[in-house]
Amino acid sequence: MSKNQANILQALNPADYFTLAMDEEIRHETGVGSLCGMALELDALPEITVLEDKIKALTQNFPIILTSLQQQGNRFHWCQRDTIDSIFFQYHATSTLDIEQIIANLMNQVQARETIMPLSFHLIHSDTRCVLLFRWMHPLCDAVSINLILQYLATDDKNQREKFHVPTPEALVTRQLNKFSLWKKIQLFLKAKRYITTLDQQQSIIHAAKKSPKKLRALHYQLSVEQSHKINQFAKTQTGITGSSLYYIGCFMRALEKMNPQQSGEAYCVPYAFNLRKQKALTPLLGNHVGVLFAQASRQLIANRKQLFTHLKQQNKTVIRQQLDYAFLPIMWAARFLSLKKHGENLRLSYTHKTERSSFWFSQVNLTARTSESLCNRKITGIRHFCQISSPPAIALLSCEYQQQLTLNYNFIEPLFEPAWIEKLHHYMLDELLTEDSP
Amino acid sequence: MKPQLREFIFEELIFVADPQTFGNDEDLLEAGLDSMGIMRLIMFIEDQFKVTLPDTEIDPDNVKTFNRLEAWILHHKS
Repeated sequence: MSKNQANILQALNPADYFTLAMDEEIRHETGVGSLCGMALELDALPEITVLEDKIKALTQNFPIILTSLQQQGNRFHWCQRDTIDSIFFQYHATSTLDIEQIIANLMNQVQARETIMPLSFHLIHSDTRCVLLFRWMHPLCDAVSINLILQYLATDDKNQREKFHVPTPEALVTRQLNKFSLWKKIQLFLKAKRYITTLDQQQSIIHAAKKSPKKLRALHYQLSVEQSHKINQFAKTQTGITGSSLYYIGCFMRALEKMNPQQSGEAYCVPYAFNLRKQKALTPLLGNHVGVLFAQASRQLIANRKQLFTHLKQQNKTVIRQQLDYAFLPIMWAARFLSLKKHGENLRLSYTHKTERSSFWFSQVNLTARTSESLCNRKITGIRHFCQISSPPAIALLSCEYQQQLTLNYNFIEPLFEPAWIEKLHHYMLDELLTEDSP
Repeated sequence: MKPQLREFIFEELIFVADPQTFGNDEDLLEAGLDSMGIMRLIMFIEDQFKVTLPDTEIDPDNVKTFNRLEAWILHHKS
């Protein structure tokens, strides 16, 4: 065994490759890569030694957190480092503005893929505020993982923490793929390709300005309990209990359309991930365990709210009925043998038009059932999400519900989008979300 | 019918520490059955029990527990 092979701790799974390809795309554009962040607002500074001990326990049990992502041959692996850098950092800020600037700098930090720590914790505090930022590179884990890591850190009882350690023999994408025979895999692969070809017949509407991407910005809006309750109710009326994500996606399509109805393109096309873990499972803690779905709606459909939601609901149902959700797994499996460049192209570009397929990125990160309300005896008073995005589409909406309050996180790349534009967009979005329709 | 439903839900959709002790009247939505899970469950039911469940009846009341799920399916099977 060569020295390089001896250093390998774990290979990437097909869904990790999917996010790695996007890491490569973003690196080409801004140099940053696929960084994600979750910022917890704490009511006071936590006891540092307690927090550090918990982070230490986490890394001892999940050593991949301390590795380096390296290419060996054509493949990528999590490899041991010669020296291990710290993953916990503290910053003293002079003002709220300063706190936001530190977060922005961290989310835009350019660092080589091989040297960046896959996960790091940044405690930023001023005299009046305290924020703990979890920052991770997407190939390490998905958004559910970060919820699990938060839950892990918030669990004081050692025996309870053991429940997160149960080893999983294989990635869930692989486990699901193993359930299919070779012929079934081929059948699904072709089915997914045909489906994408159908989606690609309509040119996607992209609102990003044609400018060179510079840096990620984010605007966050925490809604009141009353507004959040209303939105949940309306989502149930419009898209039923089987598709609350579709309500946000539909509303966001309409809000974007109001911003610029003259924008070229025929339809909005939105990829969104679904979790392959069983709900409430505490494992696997790390890795990406997701499949992909698409929501697509033409301009004509978007003009009519009721028709739009009926269409999105029906589309989702058809996709699941035809097993198209699982059909993308063989594609993911096969795509990991491509170069990252080719993989990225396939993910992003329409086969028909050779332009960007995604109108925007969307993720619903609900924390209600999973997350503790405190960490190291400090109350978590708010949660915000960040994610780097490829340009175009250069805009992502991450919705999150925590303690009965929704937060809409708009992540965007400047100068393709500007804060004033996003602010106006949020007003339209709020109008859409709070519109009461007849059932 | 319930054993098949239980097997599918605990095998594919939600994690509970001890599935055997999960009662047929316990709340599946509380246990983590989410929107995507409900869609998968309906597809499984339609395929497994050769029944069509109308969209208009996809309601928390019908999917909340194993007993309610079974009653809903039986209603459309007869």
